[in-house]
Parts: sequence; C-alpha cells; structure tokens
Amino acid sequence: MQKKGRAWLATLVAVAFAMMFVVSNASAQGATLHILMEDVPETHIIENLLPEFEQQTGIKVDIQKLVYSEMHDKLVTQLVASSSYYNVLEVDFLWAGEFPAAGWLEPLQPYVDKTSFDLKPFIPSMLDLVGNFDKKLYMIPMYNYSMGIIYRKDLLADPALQSAYQAQFNSKLELPTTLKDYVQVSKFMNAHGGVAGAAMQGQRGDPNSMEFSNYLFAAGGHYLDANGKVSLDSAAALDALNLYVDNIQNASQKGALSATLDDTFQLMCQGKAWSMVTYWWMLPQLDNASSCPNVAGKVSLGVMPGGHGESGGWGWAIPHNESPQLKDAAWKFISWVQSKKVAVERALQGHAPVRSDVFEDPSVLAKYPYYKQAEAVVQSGEAFPVFTYSAQYEDVLGRQLSLAAANQAKPADALKAASDGLQQLLTKAQKQ
Amino acid sequence: MVQRTTTASARTRRLSARARLSGWGFAAPGLSLLLLVVAVPLVLAIALAFSSYTFLHTNLLPFTGLANIKESVNDPYFWHSLWLTVGYSAVTVTGEIALGMGIALLLNQDLRMKGVYYAILTIPMAMSPVSVALIWHMLLQPNLGIVNHVLGTLGLPQPDWLGSTTLAFWSVVLVDIWQQVSFVVLILTAGLSALPTEPYEAAAIDGASTPQRFLYLTLPLIRPVAAVAVIIQLINEFRAYDLFYVLTKGGPGIATDVLSYFVYRKAFLGLNINEASAASFGLLIVVLILTIAFYALISRRSN
Repeated sequence: MQKKGRAWLATLVAVAFAMMFVVSNASAQGATLHILMEDVPETHIIENLLPEFEQQTGIKVDIQKLVYSEMHDKLVTQLVASSSYYNVLEVDFLWAGEFPAAGWLEPLQPYVDKTSFDLKPFIPSMLDLVGNFDKKLYMIPMYNYSMGIIYRKDLLADPALQSAYQAQFNSKLELPTTLKDYVQVSKFMNAHGGVAGAAMQGQRGDPNSMEFSNYLFAAGGHYLDANGKVSLDSAAALDALNLYVDNIQNASQKGALSATLDDTFQLMCQGKAWSMVTYWWMLPQLDNASSCPNVAGKVSLGVMPGGHGESGGWGWAIPHNESPQLKDAAWKFISWVQSKKVAVERALQGHAPVRSDVFEDPSVLAKYPYYKQAEAVVQSGEAFPVFTYSAQYEDVLGRQLSLAAANQAKPADALKAASDGLQQLLTKAQKQ
Repeated sequence: MVQRTTTASARTRRLSARARLSGWGFAAPGLSLLLLVVAVPLVLAIALAFSSYTFLHTNLLPFTGLANIKESVNDPYFWHSLWLTVGYSAVTVTGEIALGMGIALLLNQDLRMKGVYYAILTIPMAMSPVSVALIWHMLLQPNLGIVNHVLGTLGLPQPDWLGSTTLAFWSVVLVDIWQQVSFVVLILTAGLSALPTEPYEAAAIDGASTPQRFLYLTLPLIRPVAAVAVIIQLINEFRAYDLFYVLTKGGPGIATDVLSYFVYRKAFLGLNINEASAASFGLLIVVLILTIAFYALISRRSN
C-alpha cells in the first residue's frame, strides 16, 4: 500500500511538473513582448527580421519607435512602476550605469549559463560599455554607434577647390588628420565649396555633448584620467572647445545651435554640407541612391581627425519588474537577435555589429568593404563617463557647450563649470 | 395647529437631509475620481517635496524638511528660469488677449461663413502641443523649412529662428500664441455675443464713435470674461513645457530654460523627484499668488 502510495505521489509530481512546463512554455509561446526602441535604421532592420523570430518561437514582438530624446523618461517611468510595460529594454550606454545602480535590471548571467549563450565573440570594449556593471552582466551589447567623420570625397577631389586651398594654405586639400586641420578645411569649404563646412548638431544636451566629445578625444583631452579623477579642465580640452566653437560659429550650417541628428542628416543628404561628425552607420543611409541621390557615391567614412572619436553603444536588458515567463520570453528574443546568424543578417542590411565574428564575416565584408574603416572607428573610440548620473551630466555639459557656442560664456569658464559639474555628480554617485 | 406645523417642519428637515444625502450620493463617483486624480497626487507631491525620495532611493523617509526647497532655490539656474517663465507668461498672455480680442471683435460682426472661420480657428486648439511643436520645428528649420524658403523667395532676410539666443525665445512665444489664441477667441466671442445691446443703441444715438464704444462700453463689459481668459492662460503658460522640450531643449545657451524645463531636468535627468517636487511648488505658489492678485484686482474694478 505504501509502495502504491509512493508511486501515485511520484506520478502526481511528474504530471504537475509536466503541466507546469507546458503552461510556462505555452505562456511564453503566446506572449507578446513590448520593446521601446529608438527610431533609427537599426530598429527598422530588426523589425524586418521579426517574422522569422515569431515563426520560430510563437512569441509576438511589438516594437514602439521613439526619438532618442524621449526614450529615457519613458523608460524611467515604466521602471519605477510596479510592472514595466516594456519587456525588453534597449539601454543606451549613458544609462548603463544608472539603470543597474537603481536595481531596475535583471542580472543576465543566469540566463547565459542556462542557455549556454556564447559571450566570447562580443567585442570586449562593447561588453565593458553596455554589458557589465559592477562586475555583473546586466546587458547584452546590441549595436555600436561609435562616431567618426563622414565627408564628401568629391569636394575634396574638386580641382578648383584643390588649387584654391593650395593657394590659401600652401598645402594639399585632403582628408585632415588633426582636429585643427579639420576645422581649417571645414571653414574653407564653408567659404568656397558652396556648402556648409560641417553639419553640426549643436542642440543642448545629448546632441552637442556627443559631438563635442569627439573634439575632446581628438585633441587628446579626457573627461577622466586613468585613476578615474576628473581631468576635463585641461589645456587639451580648452583647445578642443575653442576649435568646436570656431567650427560651429564659422563653418556650420545656419541653425546649428538648435540642430539635432536628424537636421544634420537631412542637410548632408541634400548635399548641403561637406562633413559631419556622426555615427558611422549613417554612411549606408547617405550612400543610398534612392534616399540621398545628391550624395550617394560621393561620401566616405574616416576615423575622427586626431585619431579618436566618441564610442557609444546600446545594450539589451530585461526589466526587473516583470513576470518570470516574460523574462524568459525576453531572453529568447535577446539570444536570438544577438546570435551570429541573425547578427550577420542584420549586418548585411547595415547593422553596426558588436561581435567581432560579424565584422570579419566574408559575406559582410564583401557587401560593405568600408566595415574595415568602421572597425577602425570602433576600435579607436573613447567613452563618455558612464556612471549613475551620465544622463544628467550630458545636460550639464550640454548647457555649458551651448553657452560657449552662443558667446554667452567664455570657453575657459564653460569648461571649468563643466568640469566642476562632473566632479559634483561623481561625488553624488559615490554617496549613493 | 402648532403640533401640525412642527411635524411639517420636521418632515421638511428629514426630506432635506435625505435630499442632501442623495446629492452626496450622486456626487460621490465624481468626487472620488477627483480625489484620486487631483488630491492624491497633490498630497503625494507635497510629501515628496519634503522627503528623501528619489528614483534611486525609493523611500519617503527620512523627511528632509526644507532641504529640497533650499537645494532648488540655491541652484544657480533656478532664478533665471523663474524670471524667464514670468516674462514668457506675461508676453504670451498679453499677445493672446490682444490678438484674441481683435479676432473676436471681427467674428462678432455679421460675417458670411462664420462657421468656417470658427472651425479653422479651433484646429490649433485641438492639436497636442507636441504635434504643434514638431510641425513648427519643421516650418522654422532655417535651411530646409518653408518659412525661410518663402522669405528667401521674397528677398527678405532668413532668420535663425531657434538657433539664435535672441530669437529663440520669441519664436517659441509666437508658436505658443498661434496655438493658444483660438481658446481666447472662443471665450471672448462667447462673452461678446452675450453683451446687452441697449447700451450700444444708446451710444449710437449719442453719436459715440466705434473706438469710443469699444473703450467705454465693450472693454468694461467684457472685463469679467477677459479676466477668466487671462487667469486660465496665465496658469497654462506658467506650466508651458512641451514647446520648449521639442523646439529648443532650453537653449541655445539658457535662452529658453523655463522653470518647467528646470523641473523636468531635476526629475528625469537628475532622478531627484523630491527636488523636482519642491521646485514645482515654487511654480505653484507663484501661479497662485498671481492668480489671486489678478482676480482681486479685477473684482475690485468690477465692483
């Protein structure tokens, strides 16, 4: 009787487990994942591949697209709520310190272990930027947006412009290799090329902070030194700011002080600017004869003159405040979209890879030979400080840059204020 | 007789008590909703302003007294933002009332197709401020926008509407007036159409000119209605945020860094919802003082 009872109990437990498995699998299968994503080409590429994922898993994916500037606030309000409407998060590197520090993200190592997801192909610098925080894995790198220079090679090769430049500066008109030369060529093109020398995104906040960071790194300046101490108030940084102000005042398009990424892209696309310091994956959009017929075939990508540009990237994360079933479904999506197969498919449509095996994939290189330059841009990039208050620091820095660019503050004073602001926020973050 | 009267009075009292109860019963759903969406957030905001609650430290305790208010007030950009907001509200409300009065007077005439004009006028009012800002952002784009294109075609200067420290503020003012004026027109038109006709007939017999009738009849008679429009718009303009967020982000420099944007930065970039609540109360107090003062002024004059 006892034996019979035990057998019944074992059967009951087995059935219960089987039912739990079926139910959890069924709920994951019928799940709909809501994702908030930036309205950029990368998102459209992923959207095109979604039917494949939905067919494989039975999980539906609903992507809501938004401009970058509105994403942070929308995500924060969801993450402080009892449950998040968004089940997969697209986390910018500027929030990669804030979100885990606030306890809003699910640690991902258990999911990696459970599914034997291979992290080795991911570029280590990307894992540092949008993967680990406090030695814990909270994000899987999604794509990189390191910045370089996109320029009109046809204008550089124009014989009339070449001779005019030679006459004026006694040197050859070519792609500049230093920041000072870049500003010089930019001003020359503005005066003689019939275009704006530089399409600049000078709107206060993220646009001008990101753009200036390229000038800073190109001039040899840094936000923090090797020991993590603030080193922004330096001679190199002042050079960078003076050149930035010079370029925005004397070589950029009208309205540069309120311009965003979209404005600069449109200007470049219409053939009304010689250069833009921007995200490298803008190149395929500009080099597209159907969307930008005025410049297709005439644009090229290079590392930021000076050798270093701004490094950036996005990561995937799972919010802490959602059900285990949806977390599992979210992980299925992340591990699918970042698998080599899908990453290569994305790269063939213009995706900015975070895996070295995608950068080196023969089919990708055959279609996009400039991925070699892109890899150089990614490798030479330096990062904006990533900490709890990175987003706030962008605002602090952006305000000072805008004041300097609008002649409402001396560059030295603006730089000092930006440096003090960084110190204050770092101190505040350490107290948390 | 006395007893009958007493009984009737008691019945009336009982009836009125029952009627009062029914009244409360009918009002209860609406009141509960108001309590939920107005009173609760207000009380919570007050609590937040005096607490140590931030997005990173999600606990009201310990209470911090006036520390958050001091922190906001000591911010070097707080006073700049406050005065800019006061100036912005004064300019936009004045513009809206002046323009609104002009349009309302025109619409108060016997016009053909008046309905069409009303329909056109209400379109901006029905649009969300974010949509309005996005549309105007495209229109005012200095290189590719239609406004500068038209100005250029006419041989006129093409201003840098949103990128100039001197023009950006006025550009936002213009966009705001464009959107808000229709609301003022509707209120003033309703007021004008309700004015008595006798004083105008008497004035016409006395030979009063049109400006005289406007100054000595229309303005005094419409004042209570105009006061309501001013108060509503004053409150609206002090809270203006969307246009600044989309059009300028407070820049260039600090040219359009109004108080509502200051509050936004504290809350969503600094993650300090407690300091943002404290700064919001600064905004609330200023609006309250101005509203009361304006209302008192208008009431005294009307009396």
